[in-house]
Amino acid sequence: MESPLHHFEVHTIIPIHIGGLDLSINNAVVAMWVGLVVIGSMFLLPTRKGLSLVPGKLQSVLEIAVEFIRNLVYEFIGEEEGRKYVPFIASLFLFILACNLIGLLPGSYTITSQLVVTGVFATGIFILTLVIGFSKHGMHFLGILVPPGIPKVLIPIMIPIEIISMLARPISLAVRLFANMTAGHTVLAVLFGLAMTGPLWLGWLPFGFTVVINGLEIAIAFIQAYIFTTLTCVYIGDVIKLH
Amino acid sequence: MPQFEQVSVFGSLIFWSVISFAILFFMLKKFAFPPILAALDDREKKIRGDIEASEQLKQDVEKIKIDLEEKLAAAHGKAETIVQLAQDEAKKLQEKTVQETEAKVKQVQREAEQEINSSRSKLLQEIRSYTAALTIASTEKFLKKALDDSDKKRLVDESIEQVIQELEKNQQN
Repeated sequence: MESPLHHFEVHTIIPIHIGGLDLSINNAVVAMWVGLVVIGSMFLLPTRKGLSLVPGKLQSVLEIAVEFIRNLVYEFIGEEEGRKYVPFIASLFLFILACNLIGLLPGSYTITSQLVVTGVFATGIFILTLVIGFSKHGMHFLGILVPPGIPKVLIPIMIPIEIISMLARPISLAVRLFANMTAGHTVLAVLFGLAMTGPLWLGWLPFGFTVVINGLEIAIAFIQAYIFTTLTCVYIGDVIKLH
Repeated sequence: MPQFEQVSVFGSLIFWSVISFAILFFMLKKFAFPPILAALDDREKKIRGDIEASEQLKQDVEKIKIDLEEKLAAAHGKAETIVQLAQDEAKKLQEKTVQETEAKVKQVQREAEQEINSSRSKLLQEIRSYTAALTIASTEKFLKKALDDSDKKRLVDESIEQVIQELEKNQQN
C-alpha cells in the first residue's frame, strides 16, 4: 500500500535556479496558480465588464464574499480604521480559500498543507501587526505587554507571559492551517488506500467514507480560511486598539 | 512527512506563494475590490434613499388624505347649509303665500260683506220708502181725511218701525 503521505511530496516541473536559490516551479506552485487564476478571474472578469446596480448571480456571490469580509474587518478592527485593511484581508481570505479548495481536486496539491507556506504568511502577518502597532502608537505600543488593571507586582511575570502569548499567535496561526489541511488529506488518502486495496465487497465502505469526508473537507477549506482571516483581523484590531 | 523532509523545495514554495499572493492582492485591490465596494455602497445608499423617499411619499399621502378629508367635511357642511337655507327660503315663501292668500280671502270676504250690507241698506231704504207711501196711501184711504203734517210724520215713523221690526223678526227666524 502506498504511503498516505505520499501525495504531499513536491515534484519539480520546471527547474529554475537563480544564484544558489532553488526557485523551481513544482506541482504545488502550479496547483496554487490554477486556484488563483480561477478565483482571480471570478473577481476580475465581472468587475472589468462593469457592475450593475441590480446584481446577477456571479456579482451577488462576489458582493456577498466582499461584504462578509468587510463586516468581519469592521467588527474586529472598527469601521474607520478597518477600511484600508479590507483589500488585504479579503485577498488573504481568497488566497487561502483558493489554495484549500484547489487541493481537493484529485491529483492536485494543497500548498497550505506546507508548514513553510502557512508559516511565512503567519510570520508576515505578525510582522505586519508589529509595524502597524509601532507606527500607530510609537513606543507606547509596548504597553500591549502589560494588560490593563494588573497589580504592579505582577508586571515582571506578566511581560514574559505576554511575549510568549504574542509569539504563540503566528505559530498557532501557521500550525492550525497546516495541520488541518494535512490531516484532512491524510484521512482521505488512508480511506482511499483502504478502498483500493480491500476487496470490492468491503472496499465500498471506506470509499463511501471518502465521499463524506470530501464534503467535510470542502467545509473545512472554508472554515480554515475564515479562521485564518478572522484571527488576522483580531491581531490587527488588538494592536490598533491596544487593549 | 514530506513537508519536513523536502527542505530543498522550501525556497521555491515560499518565493512563489508570496509572489503569487502579492500579485493577487495587487490585482484585486486595483481592479476588483473598488468597484465591488463602490457597488455595495451605492446600493446601500440607493436603498436608504429609496426608503427615505417612500417614507416621504407616505407622509405626503397622509397629508393629502387629511387635507382631502377636511375639504370633504367642509363641502358637506356647506352643502348642508345650502340645503338648510333653501328649506328656510321655501318655508318663508310658503308662509308668505299663505299669508297673502289669507289676506286676499279676507279682503274678498270684507268686500262681499260690504256689498251685502250696502245692498241690504239700499233694499231697506227702498222698502222703507215703499212702505211709507203705501201706509200713507192706505191710511188716507181709511180715514178719508187729511191729517196734519205732524200726525202724518208720526204715523209714517210708527209704520216704518213696525215694518222694520217685522222684517227683522222675519230675518232672525
